[in-house]
Amino acid sequence: MEHTEIIIRDNGTLTERIIRERDLSAEGDVLEAMTADVTRTIRHAMPIPGWGMAHANVGLTDTIWSVPIDRIPLKARFRVINGVLVPMFASMTDLEMPMVWQAPKDVRLVFVVRTEVSEGCVVVGGNWLFAFNNDNNGYRLPLPNLHDECTICTGQFESSYASAQAGVSASLEQFNQSKWNSDLMTTVAESQKFFRFRPGNETFTTLPIEAADWTTLCAKVSTAILDRAIL
Amino acid sequence: MKKITVQYGVDSITKQVEGGFTFGDLQDSDAIKAALGFGDNTKALVEGIEQDRRTVIPDGATVRLETAANTKA
Repeated sequence: MEHTEIIIRDNGTLTERIIRERDLSAEGDVLEAMTADVTRTIRHAMPIPGWGMAHANVGLTDTIWSVPIDRIPLKARFRVINGVLVPMFASMTDLEMPMVWQAPKDVRLVFVVRTEVSEGCVVVGGNWLFAFNNDNNGYRLPLPNLHDECTICTGQFESSYASAQAGVSASLEQFNQSKWNSDLMTTVAESQKFFRFRPGNETFTTLPIEAADWTTLCAKVSTAILDRAIL
Repeated sequence: MKKITVQYGVDSITKQVEGGFTFGDLQDSDAIKAALGFGDNTKALVEGIEQDRRTVIPDGATVRLETAANTKA
């Protein structure tokens, strides 16, 4: 479409202006390029048996799945010190026990899985464990087997699945079954103030964290994956 | 002197720094570390692009610091 305008300028000059419009067929590509970093959040996207609902943050090339969890399975070696059972991750001699640490309400845990679709399969690209405080700052827990940016060192792990639900479920099952060893361990002192249990006759009770502010035992983190995690 | 804004997590600060202040100076600054709570293992990004430690931070820049990945011990 084309139309012509005649403009009278302030100095009296007459100017012809021709305006031509045409639709471009590249709108899909342009929109895709402009929204490459835009993600969409879908809460309660799918249930994960035994854990709860997974929320999704969907990007152009991947999806970040967030599963808020209220416990951490701790298959590790433990020792009773002053009547309190604490982890001894580097020990080779203490008793290995399958403990489950129940998180207090102010430690908001999120297990995160990144998936991509490749050749018809859902591929798990990594697992993360974040702890958030009430100000929405993210922290790395004082645990071994966690990288500085909270990637979980999973060891041998099948990465291809038929669905995202199968991939996220398998990641959590791996998390549930894995033993915590001393890999990536810095100091066990913070761990022993954080993960504490009182031995009873038949059960173990999770004890409160031995710090007025639990974040003082953790490292604050900031990453692109953490920004996409959903509480 | 120039003014820069530094973000780490949901926290941010705006500071006046010397003209030659680099991204590496920022990542090593104990005062900014204390204010924002980051550690030794970070990377600096401007508009999503990772910056070289030796590069001088432009006046008015907003720098986002992120926790960098470490390798298995």
